[in-house]
Amino acid sequence: MARMRNVPEPLPFVDHFGLSKEDLRTTLVFALSRGGDFAEVFLEYRAYDFIHMEDDIIKETAETIGVGMGIRVLSGDKTGFGYTNDLSLEKVQKAALTAASIASGKFKSTPLRFRHPSRRPSCCPVLRPAHMAGMEKRIALVREAYGAAKSFDLKIQKVKASLQNSVQYVIVANSEGLLVRDVRPMVRLTCVAIAGKDGRREFGYWGGGGRAGLEVFKDVFTPHRIGEEAAREAVLLLDAVDAPAGEMPIVLSPGHSGVLIHEAVGHLLEADFNRKKTSIFWNKMGRKVGTEQVTIYDDPTIPHSRGSYDIDDEGTVPRKTLLIEKGIVRGLLQDRLSAGLMKRPLTGHGRRQDFSHWPIPRMANTYIDRGEYARDEILASVRKGFYVESLQGGQVEDSGKFTFSVSLGRLIEDGRLTSPVKQATLIGTNIDVLKNLIMVGSDLAFGLQTGTCSKEGQDVPVNDGCPTMKISRMTVGGQR
Amino acid sequence: MRDLAEKLIAWGKAEGAGEIEVSVVEGREFSVDIRRGKIENLVEAGSRVLGLRVIKDKKTAFAGSSDLSLGTLRRLVRNAVRRAELAEPDEYSGLAPLTPSTVDAASLRLYDPEVPAIDAKTKIGLALETERIALKDKRITNSYGASFMSDEARIVLVNSNGFVGEYGQTYCGLSVGLQAGGTNDRVEDSWSSSKRFFKDLAPPEEVAKKAVARTVRQLHPRKIKTKNVPVIFEPTMTSWLMGFLFSCISGIAIYQKASFLTDKLGQRIGNRLINVVDDGLIPKELGSRPFDSDGVPSRRTVVVDKGVLKNYICNTYAARKLNLATTGNADGGGVSPNNFFLEPGKHAPEEIIKSTKEGLCLIRTLGHGLNSVTGDISRGAFGLWIEDGEIAYPVSEITISGNLGTLLKSVEMVGRDLEFLSPVTGPTLKVAEMTVAGE
Repeated sequence: MARMRNVPEPLPFVDHFGLSKEDLRTTLVFALSRGGDFAEVFLEYRAYDFIHMEDDIIKETAETIGVGMGIRVLSGDKTGFGYTNDLSLEKVQKAALTAASIASGKFKSTPLRFRHPSRRPSCCPVLRPAHMAGMEKRIALVREAYGAAKSFDLKIQKVKASLQNSVQYVIVANSEGLLVRDVRPMVRLTCVAIAGKDGRREFGYWGGGGRAGLEVFKDVFTPHRIGEEAAREAVLLLDAVDAPAGEMPIVLSPGHSGVLIHEAVGHLLEADFNRKKTSIFWNKMGRKVGTEQVTIYDDPTIPHSRGSYDIDDEGTVPRKTLLIEKGIVRGLLQDRLSAGLMKRPLTGHGRRQDFSHWPIPRMANTYIDRGEYARDEILASVRKGFYVESLQGGQVEDSGKFTFSVSLGRLIEDGRLTSPVKQATLIGTNIDVLKNLIMVGSDLAFGLQTGTCSKEGQDVPVNDGCPTMKISRMTVGGQR
Repeated sequence: MRDLAEKLIAWGKAEGAGEIEVSVVEGREFSVDIRRGKIENLVEAGSRVLGLRVIKDKKTAFAGSSDLSLGTLRRLVRNAVRRAELAEPDEYSGLAPLTPSTVDAASLRLYDPEVPAIDAKTKIGLALETERIALKDKRITNSYGASFMSDEARIVLVNSNGFVGEYGQTYCGLSVGLQAGGTNDRVEDSWSSSKRFFKDLAPPEEVAKKAVARTVRQLHPRKIKTKNVPVIFEPTMTSWLMGFLFSCISGIAIYQKASFLTDKLGQRIGNRLINVVDDGLIPKELGSRPFDSDGVPSRRTVVVDKGVLKNYICNTYAARKLNLATTGNADGGGVSPNNFFLEPGKHAPEEIIKSTKEGLCLIRTLGHGLNSVTGDISRGAFGLWIEDGEIAYPVSEITISGNLGTLLKSVEMVGRDLEFLSPVTGPTLKVAEMTVAGE
């Protein structure tokens, strides 16, 4: 099972799912029995482990197994869907008939022969799969992060550290004859620290991980650094001032601020919102919406990134997708349904939370490409403004209005970063932000590899990135 | 399901577990999404999931599975006991002691036999009708679609202290989401009705009209200058404020010192208009249940009485950590609200608007920006600007900021319009001042 990604393995039907190829074939035939255009089986087996430390003890551990099958039938722009976690052939075929009922016609008989497309090497080969490492080894990582946070400063009153790791085995089989499998590992180590002084309390958060094994905690994301950075943020916030309120120039930190691109641009270029014309971008393909500085990609193939995968949840091999080129809208993130209806090529962005949901267009690793400015040059251009250091998250609606929450900011005074600033919200309209994004730095970096994106009730792991950037004006929602 | 749970308890004991608890939830769901008069998605499915807690020498391990094959479950129980051995003793751990319950599950009326029996045609028809009525309004320019959802679930909980409990519940919901305005000046909103009993569900007409009114009132918004003004929370906004208050009085946040209300029991945290209750026993409501996930009977808990903090909301574990009694709010490893609400005051909502010379009526928020450690609130917002006691125009691209501690002490008026649209709820509310940031 180790280093499973590069080595062709027999499909583990019997091991994990107890269904043969013939079972899959008949299930797909059942699914098309009422004349649907397309049917797809998604089989999933997921093992998830959790270790939690608090109050100086390893307080609890958990192991969760998720297994099931989702089946969907497409008929025009309609989707019929059923799922079951009982993988007996009887239940599987009952779910197929449920999904079939979306169509109302006759079965169009087509011989179904499965093909196994050749695969390029994995973008996330794993050296030390977390699910195969001993509990003691994993507990040691949690203890190290916890200890680093606890001993960082006497003002640290409370620490929590957790390790989560999972491995997901999927098989996608569809009525076009595609039959592919994937094995997807994931790790995440996070730490929360609470610092207190004179009756005031603040919290800090840090973490790291990726679609990788435990080797990811060796250098950049060492447990020690994860604990220390969480504690550092909490302590720094004890002396933070209230955020200013009103419109002002904004400078965004590299890496962490990528969530702005995710919210302001990424969601609105998901194909479903454009096909349905609810996104503000639906009629702006090929049109200039931002400054020359703005080039944005979504790339699901970045090695070991949290948003990466070798096939999407529809079995499509993904590709790096250009969304905006020098301010001009160039592409959308497609899934099979939208790509088919819009007659556009697949990009490999059809993702789902698990077998009990159907795939929809989602981001993977979204980032704004590096520009030409040096970081110092960008900061020096601001006399009075607001610097975003770390973020809690954001939200957008189709009109393009979006917000994101800053957990730690800084005042910019005469081109220099000064007092730390606590809790503030930035709000804007995506078109305004793209037009006001006037300086993009050369220091492209990626986020903490701990992010999760929610859309229509489905959570998927994502990551995002950006260099240092300046937005000429944006509303900061502070208290003074 | 009960037999399966008993079997796992026997296995756990044989593996060396001191205490063990098993929960099984079996559910069936149906949902249909329609958009622009056609079915977009149709889902029907069933699922079962099992949860397990094992305690050995005061050391705890959890496990869960949707694979209910006996081989997997046997391995899961064994692994859980081995993992518990690797954890460290926690003197506060352990199952809740068995307490006799006076709660009669049937009298809570959580299960409507009509829900599983509604035929697909009726359900699809309700969604179609809701969207059709909404789209008749010319100001509506696009639709996110309408949905009908229903589900039924059976919950079984058994533990080695002798607790055995079981109940069924149903749910149905009807919703529609809309857009108004042109491509570059869009506004959006939605409305829904969620009930346990099918006959209590709002009719399509009511859901559609409410969604239309909520959407079009935001058309042609203005930006405003940054200002400190009184803010009126509509009931849906009081709901999120109550949700934030809940996260700050949850016993877990308290023992973790992750709340600004830590060590405030018995103290004044709001003015006399603030009365907050958690009640798990209101018949038919979405937040009611006979017992919590620790097997503790549900009850009514006064949380804030005339501004004084009376109780933290606890599960068995948080209660032990805080040396308090559990309030019967365990939910998995955490704590969750039952029906958690701000009690109504005496004012009509119109009266509250009329009383405001200049201010913001908050109608929607966007983003995160809630910090329970400090009580700080900072969120993107949409609202209606009030001038001389009347709604003047909609405003957008603003943020509101303040602090929950300060807000609770500066509540000026509480409406009488309490409705249980969701389990965490409250009536219209007016606070003296928040910072509204705009240009």
